[in-house]
Amino acid sequence: MGDINLKMLLESKSLERAPFPIPTGWFFIGFSDSLAAGEMRNVHVLGQEWVLFRTESGKPGMSDPYCPHLGAHMGHGGKVCGEHLRCPFHHWEYDTAGWCKSIPYAKLTPPIIKKQAVLRTLPMVERYGMMWAWFHPACEAPSFELPYIPEMEDATGYAGTRRGSWTANTCIQEIAENGVDTAHLKFLHGAPIIPPVEASYDGPVMTLDIGRGYIVGKSYGPGLNVLRFTQHGVTATMISYTVPLTHDTTQMNMSFRHVDYAEGTPELQASKKIIDHMIGAAEGEESAGFESVDFIVWNNKKFRPNPLLCDGDGPILQFRKWFQQFYTDPGYVKV
Amino acid sequence: MSELRVIGRDGSERRLEAFEGGAVMDTLRDAATGILGTCGGACSCGTCHVYVAPEWLDRLPAKGEDETMMLEAIGELVPLRAGSRLACQLPMTAALSGLVLEIAPEL
Repeated sequence: MGDINLKMLLESKSLERAPFPIPTGWFFIGFSDSLAAGEMRNVHVLGQEWVLFRTESGKPGMSDPYCPHLGAHMGHGGKVCGEHLRCPFHHWEYDTAGWCKSIPYAKLTPPIIKKQAVLRTLPMVERYGMMWAWFHPACEAPSFELPYIPEMEDATGYAGTRRGSWTANTCIQEIAENGVDTAHLKFLHGAPIIPPVEASYDGPVMTLDIGRGYIVGKSYGPGLNVLRFTQHGVTATMISYTVPLTHDTTQMNMSFRHVDYAEGTPELQASKKIIDHMIGAAEGEESAGFESVDFIVWNNKKFRPNPLLCDGDGPILQFRKWFQQFYTDPGYVKV
Repeated sequence: MSELRVIGRDGSERRLEAFEGGAVMDTLRDAATGILGTCGGACSCGTCHVYVAPEWLDRLPAKGEDETMMLEAIGELVPLRAGSRLACQLPMTAALSGLVLEIAPEL
């Protein structure tokens, strides 16, 4: 706060591209139908490797790979045994909450395993046909819940199978900041005007209204956004579920849904056009979706903790202040 | 120099020079008394069970939760006595020089 620091503006070598740790929140891990009961695989997300598995009864689990006993990687040679993940080395078994449930040869049970989980696992839920994991750097329990999304959870009324996945070479905060950076919508995306934006914040939820009802949506922590785009009375929905792969590499995943209009209706056509427009170029539209223009900026920019802002810029600093809550150590925040 | 007076599983008595700074377990393990100390003092294996002589008991630190739990479990395998302790939970200090203990049966 205070005067502009000219030295900081002139010098960029000390700036970093993604000077943040992995944030806290619920993150998409995979589609539920991609992991069968009894199956196990290694996944690289949230800055490290994890063993993702599904128990015989269907419960998903995600654990640190290295056995608390003697450090074997359970994702190489381990297996799902009933409700447990079994280490290949000495057949110690763990449940999805990280409790050691069996040591097949010990006459005595180490007291600690009766009192607490000894293997780091992430709390998981399945929503929207997807597996979600709660990441907290200090292993704290979830502090909010995933929302009900009618477009994904109502059995009837909505349609749309389109989805996509993109990797950006930056962190979630930098990607999400574009939501409040309204001026870039005109100059980078080519929108006819700088749309007005209203952002409000309530705990882990940010509500955005861009262009007075054109794009209205909510962010639920760093890992889930639900944005509804409305044109001429037709609404289509972008469900965006973003997961950090490393602290500076991010996988953006999206599903696109719309009202289940009958085949051949103008409303169905309009819905599909809105979705085209969210992603890239759409026929008859001047502006471009994120795929065609945002990545070149995200993949090459640096984070300016003290940016030179002008009138007409969106509520960027307020957004950064909101995002701070997802970093456990407030020292990481450089606003 | 501190010492331990150790009654072995065969009833023989030995005097051991004790290393201060470690646990009683360290001295017993390194002197091949039959004490294994497998877990290194984490209170997770129960292989350093000893019977401390009654006259020494009030000079020992109190049992923690893990030691209590472990001794309960040990009691299902071998006899417990009032002096049952895990030697890894007894810091070897000059004040314990002369401590008399008996090596408990193997698990």
